[in-house]
Amino acid sequence: MLRLLSSIAIGLCVCLGAAQAQEVRITDDLAEAAIDLNGATITIGRIQDTENLLTGDFAKTSRPCPPFCIHPMTVAAGVETVGELEVIDFLSTKVADGTGLLIDSRVPDFFVRGAIPGAINVPFTTLEASNPYRNDIIKALGAVEVGGDLDFTNALDLMLYCNGSWCDQSPRAIRGLIDAGYPAEKLFYYRGGVQDWVMLGLTTVTPSNDG
Amino acid sequence: MIRTVLGFFIAALTICIVIILAPFSKDDEPATIDVTRNETGAVTSPVPAPVEATGTLAPGVAEAIAPAPGVAGQAAARILAASRAGQEPELKIQTDSNSIGDTTAGVLAALGLATGEAPAPTPAAEGGDEMMNMTASVLSGIRGATGQPAVAEPQQNDLQTLVAWALKEGQSDSYIDALLNEAATTGQITVPNMLVTSNGRVDTATLLASIVQEATAATTGQRAAVPTTPLGPSDGVEVRVVQRAGETEQFRFYTVGSGDSLGSISVKFYGSVEYYPRIFEANRTILSSPDRIQTGQRLVIPELG
Repeated sequence: MLRLLSSIAIGLCVCLGAAQAQEVRITDDLAEAAIDLNGATITIGRIQDTENLLTGDFAKTSRPCPPFCIHPMTVAAGVETVGELEVIDFLSTKVADGTGLLIDSRVPDFFVRGAIPGAINVPFTTLEASNPYRNDIIKALGAVEVGGDLDFTNALDLMLYCNGSWCDQSPRAIRGLIDAGYPAEKLFYYRGGVQDWVMLGLTTVTPSNDG
Repeated sequence: MIRTVLGFFIAALTICIVIILAPFSKDDEPATIDVTRNETGAVTSPVPAPVEATGTLAPGVAEAIAPAPGVAGQAAARILAASRAGQEPELKIQTDSNSIGDTTAGVLAALGLATGEAPAPTPAAEGGDEMMNMTASVLSGIRGATGQPAVAEPQQNDLQTLVAWALKEGQSDSYIDALLNEAATTGQITVPNMLVTSNGRVDTATLLASIVQEATAATTGQRAAVPTTPLGPSDGVEVRVVQRAGETEQFRFYTVGSGDSLGSISVKFYGSVEYYPRIFEANRTILSSPDRIQTGQRLVIPELG
């Protein structure tokens, strides 16, 4: 009897222990990433419930194409396509030291419903040639006007994403940036977007409207 | 046997306690904003910066408001922290020589009531105000993230930002007044010099009234008329008729009261702040600058036209 009680107790402890010890890690070496951005610490981890399933918008498989067509792996020549680990790495290196920005290129409606922590909202429409104020954004990103031309030497590295591989908002933003003269080697494309991000149970935030 | 089992049990219990308690020790770290996603899949909000961010202000701003900041001052610093670093604190209201037309247009644009006169970031082209607002919010987002204004924006934009924010939040006039005075005194914003009162404060009432006037004009297309109510001696107004070479000229004089600004006097006589330069020019002999008006000064009020 005593033996039975003991084994139940041990079993209970082991279960509790397992639940507490981050069963769902980002990688072998990384349970979660804590990143200092502008004085605040953001933490990116994963949902620990191994039974969790996606519901809502990002559980959909078949959006009509057009317009929600599958995008190629490469968005434009010279623009590197990246995955989740590169996003986290970009945040903890380039964004943390002020040489890069993670850009959510979706319209504000989507952005406020859930975004990757540390991202700022630059809707793709503001980067297209139809925006007469586009150059103000380009300059805010670090381009300097020299004799009528823009010098991008000290411009920030930008990593862009939108809803996922079926979403054209970040490809359009990237093409807009290139059209404005932004060097392709300073641009990165997270093709998986929010769809892949939430599919892995990674942390999202609901930012305030102003980004 | 029982002893072995018990020993094992105690050992397991100890390990469990260590495992269970270990994660909680992290909670002692100060002011980390936890943004972990919850288990139902719904997104959780990280308490956004404005609520908790006293510790995350740009250091320059935090220092600028250090002497007895007050609630309004802190709010001002919080709002402006996103767009610019603080300047050296000075105990005088920081002014600029801008008209408030741009300020009111900017505030209205920020509130979604574009007048079509808002100062455009670049020479205005086709594209509409929605794009301008969107661009403005993108720019503030980028500056918030980079902490450095890449483009030197005109300073009145900060005043616009602050007033637009306060109006959106539904803050009272007295709160906005305290907010603007605090921010102007610490040099976080500059205010048009004609909005400095004879007491050396920001004439918030005139600024807000001007915004309301612009908004009315934008929605109804009607401009405010010149006030027709005659102003008498009880209002500090004195009318002198001067005869000169057969011509009769009428001069109005106004004795500056406490809390008057050149802007408010312009509204009083002409119905709009925009005519303050006329008053200033007519009184150059006693006014070195529009923000130097003093209670008791006797100003000439020229006739328009």
